[in-house]
Amino acid sequence: MKIAFTSKGPAWDSPMDERFGRTDYLVILDDQSMELTAVSNQDSQAVAHGAGPKTAQKLFDLAPDVLITGNGPGGNAAAVLNRMKIKIYTGAGGLTIRSAYEQFKHNQLKGG
Amino acid sequence: MEIVVISGKGGTGKTSIAASLAFMASQQTVLADCDVDAADLHLILHPRILHREDFYSGVKAVIDPEACSACDLCRQRCRFAAITNSDAAYAVDPLACEGCGYCHQLCPSQAISLVDCKVGECYRSQTKLGNLLIHARLEIGADNSGKLVARVKKEAQQAAESEAMQYILVDGSPGIGCPVISSLSGADYALIVTEPTLSGLHDLQRVWELASSFGLRLGCIINKSDLNPQLAVRIANFLQQKGITLVEELPYDDDFQQAITLGKSLVEIDPGKWQSRFQTIFDKITKETR
Repeated sequence: MKIAFTSKGPAWDSPMDERFGRTDYLVILDDQSMELTAVSNQDSQAVAHGAGPKTAQKLFDLAPDVLITGNGPGGNAAAVLNRMKIKIYTGAGGLTIRSAYEQFKHNQLKGG
Repeated sequence: MEIVVISGKGGTGKTSIAASLAFMASQQTVLADCDVDAADLHLILHPRILHREDFYSGVKAVIDPEACSACDLCRQRCRFAAITNSDAAYAVDPLACEGCGYCHQLCPSQAISLVDCKVGECYRSQTKLGNLLIHARLEIGADNSGKLVARVKKEAQQAAESEAMQYILVDGSPGIGCPVISSLSGADYALIVTEPTLSGLHDLQRVWELASSFGLRLGCIINKSDLNPQLAVRIANFLQQKGITLVEELPYDDDFQQAITLGKSLVEIDPGKWQSRFQTIFDKITKETR
């Protein structure tokens, strides 16, 4: 399974980014190998409008099964993600990637 | 803890209420004006600018006259009629250009480039209360964006951290578009200010849909509640049904108008009447987020 995180850095101990569309990074965890792959999201941060759908497009290409984020995507981005059948978990804004993953494993995050 | 004041509908009294809330815990609060299209907290809080930075957003086309072959293609194809050719010199009207980049793709002489646009300035200021206000000013024809709101909020969060401030109070923008989505990201609490009109109720429902998908704690103030008691009841029912706290109902009051005219907040023009009322509102909100 591939799990995507919105985060402010590329590593296990990087803080999560509560934003979806303008998150600093998308970090993908492969829970078989437990390896992280970080994708910079600078290009989405640079757009004035439509950052959410742009980040959703990126996520589509990365094709994770699960998204873990802070507040959650806005309406337009959520519409895209719902079509992709990604499971969205929110409320991980104040955590690190590591602790967000732990909470996800123990069903402590909202959504699904 | 970050509190965002939003309204859905414009003109409900959002900023008047946000400005008075700003007086409640001013020595523990960083303020952020994210209603950048019509930024007006500064009219009440009279900030002194400490630091300013240019803000760039989007691109505009620029024609290099040396490289231009005067083929006229860009002028014919521009959907915004932004290309002019007075005295056979081709130029872009920056107010008409939407930055779509079509002319840039089209130009056979590669004479058109897209340059980053300076659309305004972002400020860190000290208000008359002594605390920090992060705000921005847009140039003529520029519009507020999720990007600019994200910038203002990020500066406010950094300021709150470095000054060890407990609260960030954000004046959000009306509507449910990109700037509002951006102002809700990272917030803990959204205070919705509405009024008892059909459009007030309608826009409340729309902004609720957005804010609830963000998992924020929500509270609502019905301003001018006595102007249409039936609609005020409908709004109160909606709030109850959706589990939104009805923080306060404020009857119509000329003080709102008076305060704006004087460039002051409600709590300044009549402290006896408003101080305790807003303290109660502020305490209710902060209690809920604890």
